[in-house]
Amino acid sequence: MISLVFSAHLVTTGLGPLFDGIGHAVVTPQDLLPVIAIALLAGLGGKAYARKVLFILPAAWLVGGLLGMTLMWSAPLGTTALSFLILGGLVVADRPVSEKTGMALAVALGLLHGQMSGVEMQAAGIGLVGILGTVGTLFALVSLVTGLVVSLERPWTRIAVRVAGSWIVAVGLLYLGWTFGTRG
Amino acid sequence: MRVPFLVAMFTVLGAAPHCLPGGPAPAAAHEVRPGYLELRETAPGVFRVLWKKPARGDMILKIDPVFPDGCAVVGIGSETIRGGAYVARATLECEGGLTGKTIEIAGLETTLTDVLVKVYYANGLEETHLVHPNSTSAVIGGPGSVVQRIGAYARLGIQHIALGVDHLLFVLGLLLIVSSPMVLLKTITSFTLAHSITLGIATLGFANAPALPLNAVIALSILFLGPEIVRVWRGETSFTIRHPWVVAFAFGLLHGFGFASGLTAMGLPQTEIPLALLFFNVGVELGQLAFVLFVLALIRSFRTLEIRWPRWAQLFPGYAVGTLGAFWFIQRTVALLGGM
Amino acid sequence: MQSIKPIVATVALLAFPSPLAAHEGGAAAGLLSGLLHPVSGLDHVLAMLAVGIWGAQMGPPAIWVLPVTFPMVMAFGGMLSLLGVPVPGVEIGIGLSALLLGFMVAIERRPAIEVAAVLVGFFAIFHGYAHGAELPEGQSGILYSIGFVVSTGTLHASGIGVGLIHRWDRGKRALRIAGAGIAAGGAWFTWLAVSG
Repeated sequence: MISLVFSAHLVTTGLGPLFDGIGHAVVTPQDLLPVIAIALLAGLGGKAYARKVLFILPAAWLVGGLLGMTLMWSAPLGTTALSFLILGGLVVADRPVSEKTGMALAVALGLLHGQMSGVEMQAAGIGLVGILGTVGTLFALVSLVTGLVVSLERPWTRIAVRVAGSWIVAVGLLYLGWTFGTRG
Repeated sequence: MRVPFLVAMFTVLGAAPHCLPGGPAPAAAHEVRPGYLELRETAPGVFRVLWKKPARGDMILKIDPVFPDGCAVVGIGSETIRGGAYVARATLECEGGLTGKTIEIAGLETTLTDVLVKVYYANGLEETHLVHPNSTSAVIGGPGSVVQRIGAYARLGIQHIALGVDHLLFVLGLLLIVSSPMVLLKTITSFTLAHSITLGIATLGFANAPALPLNAVIALSILFLGPEIVRVWRGETSFTIRHPWVVAFAFGLLHGFGFASGLTAMGLPQTEIPLALLFFNVGVELGQLAFVLFVLALIRSFRTLEIRWPRWAQLFPGYAVGTLGAFWFIQRTVALLGGM
Repeated sequence: MQSIKPIVATVALLAFPSPLAAHEGGAAAGLLSGLLHPVSGLDHVLAMLAVGIWGAQMGPPAIWVLPVTFPMVMAFGGMLSLLGVPVPGVEIGIGLSALLLGFMVAIERRPAIEVAAVLVGFFAIFHGYAHGAELPEGQSGILYSIGFVVSTGTLHASGIGVGLIHRWDRGKRALRIAGAGIAAGGAWFTWLAVSG
């Protein structure tokens, strides 16, 4: 095999770091699913609950991302699966718990996952702009999901949300297997 | 329509690469180009290779073709970066030709870009493959089926609109002006109609718009919407606010020429143009529809959540659209004058 | 809730990091094979449909408790397999699940919700164990998992959709016949597993 290779900088989308960041958020289920889970949970908790999570999560994500970029320290691997299980589990149980707990979860999720993606973005040379792209995308995503869940009125639609939660838990369990198993 | 913060945030995010140091050159308004690999057979088994990939300043997409065993680069090649693209030329000699062999684009799987692979044979036949991150290689030997090519052109159209920030910003401006679903429908339809007309005209080669002035005027169309959005917010009215579809149609004609750049850059053969035009346009409309639905859903979500935006956040989208339009207009005009 | 125990189990695992699984990688291929896998095995499809139909026969809350339980416990089975925990008699378990669930549908048996959930959950482990980890070489594990879970959930939804004809007398009879068919299929697969 021969190749026409001429060296170049690392660019992932070729459209600049912002689009790389947006793309990262959209194609990384490890980040996307826990965010969907907390948005479902916040939606189940009602309008005021949802509004708080909507603004706190991206803010925490930004802080986490900056921390990750500067410290280059990654949370233990199992964190991702744990986010799936805790947040998905609360959705399955239809227990939005208290607003305070919800906010604490949003902060924890934002800091931990933001931090992990910050490390990756720094490594990929996307940096702060990439994180802003991710944060903006997540803000849009959370507002869409919470808005949808809050507007659900019929009983069976609430059940559909719980089913979605159970799918997230299921993926989390399998992810746990991939993370710690021999085949990961 | 009250204008919430997220929409504004979106506009800024969308615009940011243009404002940042190291951002694109002013002329790169339609930076959504796939990579392009052309193999032109000059003698049995000998191909002239043209390899183009998007570049911005000194940032070049890290993708490169890998040719099958039995192929070797002969003679002297060349390598340049010009007009936002990296271009390499070489001559390739393949024992027993390329038929049945695989060309891979290495590094493509980590990108969101497509690469169009075209092979022109000495006997006048040709074949086209669209290679994308999910399948990074193409088996040479017989042109792709019609269905494959339809999919490829539609994909290109969707990408072109999804990454054409200035077009989306214009659509966003229109969305912020319209007052009712009926007006929205009329406005988006006339924008669609208008840009389809000029996209067709330009692709079929009847008329053409030079890139630099066109981009400046497209920026002007965005700038134009900024004050109108602020007027809507203040409860004032104007011709544009009463009849947004007229403006949408007029500026839509311009934007169509812009879309055409995504197609004409591919240098398609005449016989391929009708199919490509149709499905590229279908892709553009699908992408635009998705964007409109996205913004409407977002606005609806903000209403459902009863978010009370501070005054500055409400005013932000109008000013963002206007400011970015102005910024691009000045930037592109300077580029235009500088290029003369 | 079924989810609580795995959470506790996870906490213990957190302390032992292992090499980073590719965070980014994996193309749509992984998702696609995950989506296709559950519908490619008839034994699996039959059991999933039976879960949905049985839930619909029992009405609320079983109509949603069963489909919520199943993916989670099934994923638990998949996790066991990924972690290399041995589970005996998997193929027999899958065949038996179709046999027994089909039988329940055929006789329209309505046990207490807990009993039904435990029964469904027990069999779900085998399904997850056998299929949850059959990832083709070089594809993304998490995307495969998402595809697998979504596809299984959709099969349940189809079962529930079919089960909605339960409100008519003729529909009731049709469901019981379908249940008998599923049970027969299950018996066949069990036989194959035992003999083979």
